[in-house]
Amino acid sequence: MAGYIGNLALFFSLIFNGFLIFSLIKGIRNNDFKNSKIINFFNNSIFFLLLISFLTLIYCFIVSDFSNVAVYQNSHTTKPLIYKISGAWGNHEGSMVLFILILSLFSFVFARTKVSEKLKFYTVFFQSILILIFLIFLILTSNPFDQMDPKPSQGLGLNPILQDPLLAIHPPFLYFGYVGFSLVFSFALAGLVTNNFDKSWSKIANFWIILPWSLLTVGIGLGSFWAYYELGWGGYWFWDPVENASLMPWLAATALIHSNIVTLKKDKLHSWTALLSIFTFIMSLLGTFLVRSGVLNSVHAFANDPYRGVYILSTILFITFFSLAIFIIKSPKKSLYGEYSFLQKDNFILINNCFLIFFLSVILVGTVYPIILDAISGKSISVGPVYYHTILAPFLFAFLFFMSHGPLISWNKEDKFLQIKNFKIFFPISIAISSVIIFWFFDYKDIILILGLLFSVYLIVSVIFDWISQKKLSLNFGRLVSHLGFGTLIFAIFVNAYLSKEINAAMKVGEEITIQEFVIKFKSINKIKKENYEEVFGNFLVTNKKKQVELTPSIRKYDQPVQFTSETSIKTNFIVDYYFAINLSEFEKDKIMVRFYYKPLMFWIWFSILLIAFGGIYQTFRLRNE
Amino acid sequence: MRKYFFIIIFFILSSNVFSASEELKNKIYKNIRCIVCQGQSIYESNSDFAIDLKKLISKKLENGENEKQIYEFLISRYGDWIVYNPGLNINSLALWLLPLIIFITGGFLIFRLNSKKKK
Repeated sequence: MAGYIGNLALFFSLIFNGFLIFSLIKGIRNNDFKNSKIINFFNNSIFFLLLISFLTLIYCFIVSDFSNVAVYQNSHTTKPLIYKISGAWGNHEGSMVLFILILSLFSFVFARTKVSEKLKFYTVFFQSILILIFLIFLILTSNPFDQMDPKPSQGLGLNPILQDPLLAIHPPFLYFGYVGFSLVFSFALAGLVTNNFDKSWSKIANFWIILPWSLLTVGIGLGSFWAYYELGWGGYWFWDPVENASLMPWLAATALIHSNIVTLKKDKLHSWTALLSIFTFIMSLLGTFLVRSGVLNSVHAFANDPYRGVYILSTILFITFFSLAIFIIKSPKKSLYGEYSFLQKDNFILINNCFLIFFLSVILVGTVYPIILDAISGKSISVGPVYYHTILAPFLFAFLFFMSHGPLISWNKEDKFLQIKNFKIFFPISIAISSVIIFWFFDYKDIILILGLLFSVYLIVSVIFDWISQKKLSLNFGRLVSHLGFGTLIFAIFVNAYLSKEINAAMKVGEEITIQEFVIKFKSINKIKKENYEEVFGNFLVTNKKKQVELTPSIRKYDQPVQFTSETSIKTNFIVDYYFAINLSEFEKDKIMVRFYYKPLMFWIWFSILLIAFGGIYQTFRLRNE
Repeated sequence: MRKYFFIIIFFILSSNVFSASEELKNKIYKNIRCIVCQGQSIYESNSDFAIDLKKLISKKLENGENEKQIYEFLISRYGDWIVYNPGLNINSLALWLLPLIIFITGGFLIFRLNSKKKK
C-alpha cells in the first residue's frame, strides 16, 4: 500500500514536471515572465511529491515491507532501526530517488530567492529538464517501488560494512554536493542564454557554488574517515576509482570558486567561469556514471546492470553536448580576459586554476584511461597510488608555493607597496619557521617529505601572516580558514605517510611480541551476542617506550547475510593514533592475525578537512546575509 | 663497554634489516591487485588468492629475488592488470602525458595573457 502511494507520487511528479516544462516554454516563447505563480506551484509540487515518494520508501524500509524488491534485497527485520532507514539510500534505486529529490530541492529553494524573473524561468527550466531525464531513468530502469509476488518472509540484508552510523549520513552529504552543482550548471546556462552572464550573475552564483562545495567536502571527509576506521587497513585514501569520482567535481568546483571571484571583482573571465560551472556538474554526472554503471568494481557498484550504464552514459553525452553547444554559441564576448600582469591577484588565480585543472586531469585520466584502454585494445592495466603520488607531488609543491603568495597580492597592480612590505616580512619569517620545524622534527633524508613539509609550513605561515594583517577579518575569514585547513591537511598527510608504522603478526592469547619499539601483549579474549551479529573481542596492551595503550579490536559475524567483518580499535591523543585490527587466521586455527598501526597526525587530517569545509560554510552564511 | 656497544649496534642493525624487509614486503603487497576481489590489493585482502600470493612473494623475497623480478614474474603470469603501478610503457604513455599536456597548455595560455598587455 505504502509502495503504491510512493509510486503514484513519483508518477505525478513526472506529470507535474511535464506541466512545468510546458508552462516555462510558453512563458519563454512569449517573453512573458510575470506569471511566476503557476511556475512556483508546479515547482513546489514536484518537490513535495518527490519528498512524499522518498519518505514512503523510508517507511517501506522501516516496516520491512518485503513485497518491495528494493527492501527485500537490502533489508532485514533484525537490522537496527537506523540502518533500516539508511538502507533506503544504501542501494541503487533509493539513492537515485535521493538524487532527484535533491535536484528538485535546489530548484525549490532557488525559486524562492531574489533573482530576476527571466533568469529564474530559465534556471528552473534547465533544472526541470535534468529532473525529467533522471525521473525517466528512475521509472524505466530502477523503480524503487517495484513489487514482487508472493511476498518473501525475510529480506536479504544490508552489506554489514555499510551498517555504520557514519555511512548513514555520508551519502546524503555527498549527494548534496554532487547534485547541488546542478543548480549552478542550470544557472550558468540561464545566464548564457539570456546574455546575463556578468558580475551580478557571479554574485548570486557564489552562494550556489560554495554551498554544495562545502557539503561535498564534508561528504568526502566522512567517506574517508569511514574507510579509515571500518576497513581496518590503516589507510584513509586508496585512490579507488570511486573516491576519485568524488574528488573530480570537488577539484572542478574549487577552480570555479576561484575563477568566479575574478568574474565578481573584475568583471572578466566570464567564459571560463561559465565553462567551469558546466564542467563541474558534468564531473558530478561522470562520477555518478562511474559509480552506478558497474564499469568499476567497487563496494559502491550496487548493481551491475548494463542498461543503466548505457542510459547514464548517453545522458551524460547528451547533457555535455547541449550545454557545450549553448556555451559555444552564447559565450560572453565582452571583455573576455582583460589585462593581466604577473604580480596581480587575477594572475595568481589563473595559475591556481591551471594547477587545479591539472590535478583534475590526472585523476580523470587515471580513472577513465584504464576503462577506455580495456574497451579499445582489450588490455587491462591498473592505476594505483604510485602513479598518483609520482605525478601529483612535484606539482603540489609548486601549487602550495603559489597558494602562499596569491592571497597576499593585491587586486590592483599599481599597489606595489603592500606587496613589497608583505614579501619583506613574510618571506624571512616563513623560511625561518619552516627550517626550524624541519630540523627539529626530522632527521629523515627523504627529499619528498622535506619538500612537502617545507611548502605546507610555508603556506600555514603565510595564512597566519595574512590573518593578523587583516583590517576587517570577517571579510576574508572563510578563505583564511579553508586555506589554513589545506595547509595543515597537506602537512598531516606528509607526516602520516612517512612516519606511520605497521606491524603484522599471528598471535595466541597470552602471547607477547616485541617488534621495532613496540611491545604487544595479547591479554585475553571475550565474546558477546548482539541482535544481528556475534562479536569476539581481543584485548591487547601495546607498550611504546613508557606509554601504554589498551586496545580492543573485534571480529563480527553477521547473520544476515553471513559475513565476517573486522572492527578496529583506535586510541588517539590528537598527535598519534594507535590503531588495532584483527582477522581470523586461515592457516593457524589457534592464532589470530593482528594488525597494529602507529599513525601520526590522523586527528589533524580530519580536523583539517573540517576546517576547509567550515571556511566554506561560514562564507555561505555570510553571502546569505548580504 | 665495547661489547655493549656492539650489541647495541647489532640490535639497531638487525631491527633495521627486519623492518626493511617487512616494509618492502608490505610495499609489494600493497602494489599487487587481488584479482578475485573488488578493487583491493592483496595486502588488504584475506581471500585465498591473496594469501597464496603473499606466501609466494615472501618466499621469492627469501630466495633473494628483488621487487622488479617479482613484478615481472607476476605480470607474465597474470598480465599488466595485477600491478597497481603502471610504469611507463606504450600502453600507459597517454596516462602520463595527457595531464602534462593539459598543464603546459594552461601555462602557455596564462603566459600569452600576461605578455599581451605590453602591446
